[in-house]
Amino acid sequence: MSLVGDVILLLVNGLQVGAIYVLLAIGLSIILGTLKFVNFAHGALYVVGAYAGLLITQEISISNGKLAEWGFPTLGLEWGFLAALAIVPLFVFVVGLAMERFVARPFYDRPDTDQILVTFGLAIIVQELLHALFGGRSYSYDIPSNVLGSLPLSGPIAVPLTEVTIDVWRIWVIAITATLVLGVYVIVEYTDFGLVVKAGTRDPEMVRLLGIKITRPYIVMFGIGAGLAGAAGVVGAPLSNINPEIGTTILVPAFLTVVIGGVGSIRGAILGGTLIGLVQVTLITLGSVTFLVRQVDFLFQFNFTPWAQVGIYVLAVVVLLTRPQGLLGSEEVST
Amino acid sequence: MSDETASASPGVGEQFASVARSVYGRWAAVRDSELTVAVLTFLGVLLAPYVLVELPTQLGLPTEYIWYNSLITLTVVWAIFAIGYDLLLGFTGLLSFGHAMFWGTAAYAAGIFSAEVSGSPIAMLVVGTLTAVVVAWVIGWISLRRGGIYFAILTLAFGQMTYYIFLSPMSNITGGENGFNDVDLGLLFGIIDLGDPVPLIPDAFVASWMYAFAGVALVGAVVFGYRILNSPYGVVLRAIRENEQRAEFVGLNVWRYKLMSFILSGAFAGVAGSIYVIQREYVPIDNALRWTVSGDIVVITVLGGAGSLFGSLFGAGLYMYVANIVSGFPNIGTFWHMILGIVFVAVIVLLPNGIWGGITYARGLVVRSPEIVRNAPATTRRFVETFPDRARAWLDSLRRRIPGMGGGDDR
Repeated sequence: MSLVGDVILLLVNGLQVGAIYVLLAIGLSIILGTLKFVNFAHGALYVVGAYAGLLITQEISISNGKLAEWGFPTLGLEWGFLAALAIVPLFVFVVGLAMERFVARPFYDRPDTDQILVTFGLAIIVQELLHALFGGRSYSYDIPSNVLGSLPLSGPIAVPLTEVTIDVWRIWVIAITATLVLGVYVIVEYTDFGLVVKAGTRDPEMVRLLGIKITRPYIVMFGIGAGLAGAAGVVGAPLSNINPEIGTTILVPAFLTVVIGGVGSIRGAILGGTLIGLVQVTLITLGSVTFLVRQVDFLFQFNFTPWAQVGIYVLAVVVLLTRPQGLLGSEEVST
Repeated sequence: MSDETASASPGVGEQFASVARSVYGRWAAVRDSELTVAVLTFLGVLLAPYVLVELPTQLGLPTEYIWYNSLITLTVVWAIFAIGYDLLLGFTGLLSFGHAMFWGTAAYAAGIFSAEVSGSPIAMLVVGTLTAVVVAWVIGWISLRRGGIYFAILTLAFGQMTYYIFLSPMSNITGGENGFNDVDLGLLFGIIDLGDPVPLIPDAFVASWMYAFAGVALVGAVVFGYRILNSPYGVVLRAIRENEQRAEFVGLNVWRYKLMSFILSGAFAGVAGSIYVIQREYVPIDNALRWTVSGDIVVITVLGGAGSLFGSLFGAGLYMYVANIVSGFPNIGTFWHMILGIVFVAVIVLLPNGIWGGITYARGLVVRSPEIVRNAPATTRRFVETFPDRARAWLDSLRRRIPGMGGGDDR
């Protein structure tokens, strides 16, 4: 194994892990930055996306859970993965619109604590509903290998000039994420719609006085954030198992991404997600390393792999202590 | 004749009114005293097993619908946890999503201490609580650097971090995902086995020394919590909850008060976590450090009623009953957690003071007693009308003891 190959492998894996966090964090960050709304149910949108994607892509057999009892031992549309990739973000976008209208909007004027609590309650409901319907077991995607003609969707390919092989799906994840993120970035930064949203963040009353209906951009922004979370569910889930709890477990790194990157900043979310992904993958890849302390000729071995999950929190603490508003956050937004 | 009755009846009425006033005044004066609260909690702990287990059994209710003794002990443990949490959420207004880390580290510390050093329950309790306090100090110091929503996010993150540290890198000490199995529980004071029944007290009231141990801890926790809340310190905490900026402006060191509140609630969680291990004699990581524990305590406190100590006791009882008994019901059993989630959301939307607050309010509507409906202001007014001197003295003492309240002689 050459060093170059290892580095390429590390980068691809790190960026792929980070890409999922970026997708989730952008939604969280813009909702928090523009609407000042804390969404603890963002993980629930991810898990809804994952299950919806699963049901659209293939037929699953449900062994325990209420759906099996009610006479649906198997369920699924079998439309294939690309259909899921196209439909699910739109579906979760609509879910997001409904959520803004019926959950978030009545809570804009209430304290942050109530917003967190109500979305947390919503996350419990979604998680437990899925748990009751599909059972607690994990499901997994089978990614179809050749959909786009000659372009493979998954399977190992060799990296030129090295002996390393990578799973093509990881590159696809990075590419899809990059496309979606670029789209949202363009919408927010270079369109009139984005301008209204940004102005509304600064001074909602003034925007309203200028005759602009501020609620409409808000609800669309919320929907876009939700759609990204749904997309993350479809793209990220094939690499791990799907069970009702993944939403909550992924919520924490997503929040850390926002904290590290800075609230309301898309570029911050990208930076934060990439950093977290790289740190996590680096620690796993390093594995067991033997150190030699030359002065005393002392060898000691340290295994980094168990610390992979802990490393991202250490990163967050360091950022928080040195730059409380986040790497790319503005002073103003921080409280 | 008629003159006599006319002159006599106001006399009787007046007498009656004066007796009623003095009785009410006496109750109003006694009701909020620490001793009354302690006695009521003690009676509650003593009567709970009888009312919840013995009585329904004798009435012939199906056993799958009624409580069992170890569940009552578990509820008592969670009630201690909930009181501490309420101190932070209900009275200081800080929403922590990481309280599993105090409960869990205390549980591990107590368990490991029992295996390595001494299995004395008192020593385990002390070691567990101290560990929780140290952890709370460090985590609070970092998390409180940012307020509001960030505090919730950061405590959640640190809770997860602790979970992963105990799960994987420290698995050779903590037993990893299997939990810590080597808890070696000793005798209380060197003579009492916690599983034994308590002499002189019927089993229907206190089934074992374990329950007595947990019950005493609960009474202690209620009294301690009550004392904090009714001290000037508690008033400052409430002032911070109501308006942090204003509290800052009158010269209070808000950050320090918040940190102390966080540490105090961590200490309560530590007491509860240690007793949990003493009861289970095992530390399951899923019931110690997982985020679900943090979530459960949030649900318990908010459901019961944040901002009222008895509300948290009520919440703990409700949650434990639903989680352990209702979950076994046919048909709706599978959905227990979801139903609880729906009730939780409904409570947040409709009842800002939780179910306990809702019950108090409903009772006020039924009794049509204005002093319960408009709870605090009216009772306070009545108290001030009945005992003007005592009220003035109380206000003066508060003014004197809280810096910046405009007391004549600030010390």
